[in-house]
Amino acid sequence: MTVPTRQQSLRWQLINSGIGLSAFLLTCMGLHAILPFPAIDGGVSQKLRFFAVHKDEFDTLFIGSSRVYFQISPAIFDRVMREEGIPTRSFNFGIGGMYLPESAYVLEQLLNTKPRNLKWVFIEYDELQTKWAFENQTSRRALYWADWKRTSLLLRKLTDVGIDAVWLPSPKKLRDIILCRKGEANTYQQLIFHTAQFEKNFANIARAADILDYFWGRDIGKWDPNYLGAAGDGYIPKKGGMSASQAAAYERALGLAMGTKPPVASISPYTVEAYRQCAQKVRATGAEPIFLVTPSATQFDIAYRDNNARPPGAVMAFNNPRAYPNLYRSSARRDQQHLTKSGGEEFTRMMAVNFAQFIQAGEVK
Amino acid sequence: MSFVEFRFLWFFLLLFIVYWTMRDNTARKVWLLLCSYVFYAAWNWRFTLLLLGSTTVDYIVGRMLARCKSRGSRRLWIATSVCANLGVLGFFKYFNFFVSSGSEFLAWLGLPTSVSTLNIILPVGISFYTFHSMSYTIDVYRGRQRAISNFVDLALFISFFPPLVAGPIVRAVNFLPQLVSARKFSDVDVRGAVILFLAGFIKKACIADAVAPIVDRYFAQPANFTAMSAWIGVLFYAIQIYCDFSGYTDMAIAAARLLGYQLSINFQFPYFAQNVSDFWRRWHISLSSWLRDYLYIPLGGNRGPRWFVYRNIMITMLLGGLWHGAAWTFVLWGALHGTALLIHREWTRLTNGLEWARRATRWLAWPITVYLVCVAWIFFRAHDLSRAATILKQFVLFRGGGSEHLHRWMLLVIVALAFVHWLNSRRWFAQPWRSWPAPIFAAAYGCTAALVLLFVPPHYTPFIYFQF
Repeated sequence: MTVPTRQQSLRWQLINSGIGLSAFLLTCMGLHAILPFPAIDGGVSQKLRFFAVHKDEFDTLFIGSSRVYFQISPAIFDRVMREEGIPTRSFNFGIGGMYLPESAYVLEQLLNTKPRNLKWVFIEYDELQTKWAFENQTSRRALYWADWKRTSLLLRKLTDVGIDAVWLPSPKKLRDIILCRKGEANTYQQLIFHTAQFEKNFANIARAADILDYFWGRDIGKWDPNYLGAAGDGYIPKKGGMSASQAAAYERALGLAMGTKPPVASISPYTVEAYRQCAQKVRATGAEPIFLVTPSATQFDIAYRDNNARPPGAVMAFNNPRAYPNLYRSSARRDQQHLTKSGGEEFTRMMAVNFAQFIQAGEVK
Repeated sequence: MSFVEFRFLWFFLLLFIVYWTMRDNTARKVWLLLCSYVFYAAWNWRFTLLLLGSTTVDYIVGRMLARCKSRGSRRLWIATSVCANLGVLGFFKYFNFFVSSGSEFLAWLGLPTSVSTLNIILPVGISFYTFHSMSYTIDVYRGRQRAISNFVDLALFISFFPPLVAGPIVRAVNFLPQLVSARKFSDVDVRGAVILFLAGFIKKACIADAVAPIVDRYFAQPANFTAMSAWIGVLFYAIQIYCDFSGYTDMAIAAARLLGYQLSINFQFPYFAQNVSDFWRRWHISLSSWLRDYLYIPLGGNRGPRWFVYRNIMITMLLGGLWHGAAWTFVLWGALHGTALLIHREWTRLTNGLEWARRATRWLAWPITVYLVCVAWIFFRAHDLSRAATILKQFVLFRGGGSEHLHRWMLLVIVALAFVHWLNSRRWFAQPWRSWPAPIFAAAYGCTAALVLLFVPPHYTPFIYFQF
């Protein structure tokens, strides 16, 4: 019997390693395709399931964070739109703490249900979030959306390699990241975190629980009114407002912010690219995207880092205290990011009126 | 960076490819040394300086022991090594413990003091690499090990990354000879190593990490739970600590094997031990043998009157307990095991020649041993003595506790895991895959690894023994 040479042994070892790796990758991809959608808390699974059943009832969708969830009333929006002669039936898919890129992923899941009557999708417009609070990093909520589409944008933003096909990191940027210099103290950790999240997502980490839930029929709250709101339209108004001292501090801070150099919402080209992908998906279903900037007291107006990158759709921005003083009175606010119940209702009315004007002016189809 | 993280996979892949591409043994050792320091630096790069410092001290001590002939000088040098190693360990691990314990003692005597503890970060693995290091200098002193002139060899022995942060504790006499000549890839049992790695991964990531939240929930507020929940909580902890520690050890041994190096087995189905002595021949074998050779025997070992031997056993077990952590609960854990060892010795002595007594009680040996080990685990895991006492009352007396309960179906999980463990001890899983053709084995391994990952919890739980 001839003894294989070192080269032949090495060749076979490489072939077998390749077989093992291929088997691993194919199994991961196969499992990913057949596993049921994970049970995600915070209202994500509940609202997804509700929408999947009622998708053809709505022609308007609002999607975003708590600034959508607790501030946009579909009932008020529909009433004002009806008064303007454009009847709508809307649903609030706001979820607390849901920012881009998670919101883009969830939007894709919603649109994958192929709603037949969807006309308009209001997408909260804000910068791509790379940071995750340490205590939430190991949650399933931080994992389920981390596919390559989302992760690649995050990695691109962190390394600032641009949105072209070829990733070309700047040596200076890489140096600063590795040495944690010039404001890049946390970038290295974030790169590791997001890369690991993608790996875990691809490898279906922790998905056995979903299989068990599916077969055991564990119900995590199908029509839980706590997430869908009293009217079942996804909106939950938040009670309470600011105390006198909080209001005074808020007014002072607002006055200062509106002074010499107001803070501006800075939108990176990576964010624009993420929204471009959202808009493409929305239009593919026959609907039109509208990008919505909620009345935040920490950032006024919008500035684009790359002047060539512009939003791929109409933008309705309410983050201007001079243009919308009623939304910035302390009596209308719970904090710098959120409105009270009456503030949210006022905001919804303004949104509907502005939207009707957008349609009449032809800015939105 | 831990063995269950994806970034370790990339790290090891790069290390493995470059390592086996090199032909020169020195180049390989330098590469391994560099990678070991990178591995350790992933925790905190500042403590690599401590590791390097400890290595340098012991290198110098080793060289001086080889050079000095007089007994007095040799004693001075070995004392330097032991004091330096234990001093570093003592400072980082026990400073705050001794300060606060001393303060409490003085307060109890009616002499209140105002002391402040330091905000000391415990370097990962310090208890392990300190013992690696001391085994070298002590064996050189005893003449069992030749002093190493090659600094890279010694540095690699101490910092070799697989056992660096959580064992097994490596002895110089076992490891240094392996560094003399280049390892051959043809001698590596790749299949055995990757299977062992996967088995360790399943134990740590799928079992230990899955039961950790249940254990944490119970041990955080034991008073809220029922007595039955106490049993579930304690048994789950027994499973968790075994799977966590032995799983890590399996992965460490597998990683070393893939590089051509052999590390000693650290666990031999300890929960099937027939008595406490047997338990310590099966649990954390590298530690128990280290303590036997470097503490128990120098104290006098089995030589001398009975009270003297028992004294040596208790000192060894108390210090063994303290090694695990700077808290009285660990000392109590050591004391319990020490007491159990003494009782077993007495029992063996009293029943010597009384075969009927031994035969009559043989069937009780295993359940009693498991029970005692679980009782001792209570102190090992409890946050403090007060909670340990609460759990003890629930576990031993079936008394006390609240109304909150852990689901009883968890007992079925415990039984199922015990059954699988028993099958493993009978080597049911050991051999079938060895005869498969290589491509079939590779494909099956890849598919199995992908399926195993389904059962890994999303949260990352650090290895329990990292804190030691």
